[in-house]
Amino acid sequence: MSAPLSPADRDSGAPPADRGDRPRPAGIDPRGPRFVAAITALLLLVDVLLGLTGLSTAVGSFGWYAYQPLADAVIAPGPAWAITQASLAQRILDPAFLLLLVIALLFLWSVLWQRSAPWGLLYRKIVQPRLRPPRELEDPRPPRFAQGVGLFVTAVGLVLQLAGVPWALPIAAAAAFVAAFLNAAFGLCLGCQLYLLLQRTGIVGRAPAPTA
Amino acid sequence: MTLVGALVAVAVLLAAAVVAGVLHRRSQGRARQAAARPAIDPARLGGVEFGESATLVQFSTELCAKCPAVRRTLSSVADAHDGVRHVDVDLTHRPDIARDFGILQTPTTLIIDRHGVVRTRLGGSLRRDVVESELVRLTEAA
Repeated sequence: MSAPLSPADRDSGAPPADRGDRPRPAGIDPRGPRFVAAITALLLLVDVLLGLTGLSTAVGSFGWYAYQPLADAVIAPGPAWAITQASLAQRILDPAFLLLLVIALLFLWSVLWQRSAPWGLLYRKIVQPRLRPPRELEDPRPPRFAQGVGLFVTAVGLVLQLAGVPWALPIAAAAAFVAAFLNAAFGLCLGCQLYLLLQRTGIVGRAPAPTA
Repeated sequence: MTLVGALVAVAVLLAAAVVAGVLHRRSQGRARQAAARPAIDPARLGGVEFGESATLVQFSTELCAKCPAVRRTLSSVADAHDGVRHVDVDLTHRPDIARDFGILQTPTTLIIDRHGVVRTRLGGSLRRDVVESELVRLTEAA
């Protein structure tokens, strides 16, 4: 009595039995993306720590500490952030920036070449053979879209750090961490949930055939 | 920021993420009874056919990790109950339907009675027994 509408059963987890109007990618073990998310979450948490102790939240030497609290000072100057005075090279060589750059490149890798991305490969070569076979296979496109969302968030953090915006990098890393952690620990794919909201606002998916 | 301060901030972040995850997990698949509203015209769902006694309307998108599992659950429930029909509405190219029904996450499932009135709404992944007890409630009330 089941009656899926025409395009809807394309991503059913069952073996390819659809009409072949558009090739459906082969299913993947759903534990793979969660394993990848766990490693990513760990890296992002380390990066938040580096960001909070590093250049992006540091207060410069001419700011707060040097400021003499004169009794009749009218306006207290805000903290002079170290990052606004740092050179571009210093912003790049901040350990938090370098680690987030690596994480962003890994996101990019798995968006472009999902099968060869290092953590996924690690899962399939080392972890998966030791586990029971998966009970069901999953469509690889949602996790890939979510990796794209991760790439976007981390890229915003990197660009703002280059522009000398204080706190931007650890905040972006923290946002990406929350998403990766929820995926790893709870199986909740925030990036996938975002798809519907983006599509409702007309940012993605309005064209009859999205390229994703 | 000092290392201690940063460690505290990271611990708070981790705790907040755990709380968010637990809250989300609790909200998943919880059946919410809908207030009696006028019946839905099947045309508003893209021209589907409703079942004789009940219809399980699932909203999906192409990029939805949990939708295939829910689809399997609902279609096997529909197969096991006479007069119950499962329809899957793909919102990927129909944001108008998503707006119409206030869908903020996929999968979302509506249980519709034989008159076409939405009786129950379930967000996210769901358990078979929850759906079946809602169906029992619905047929008893009828």
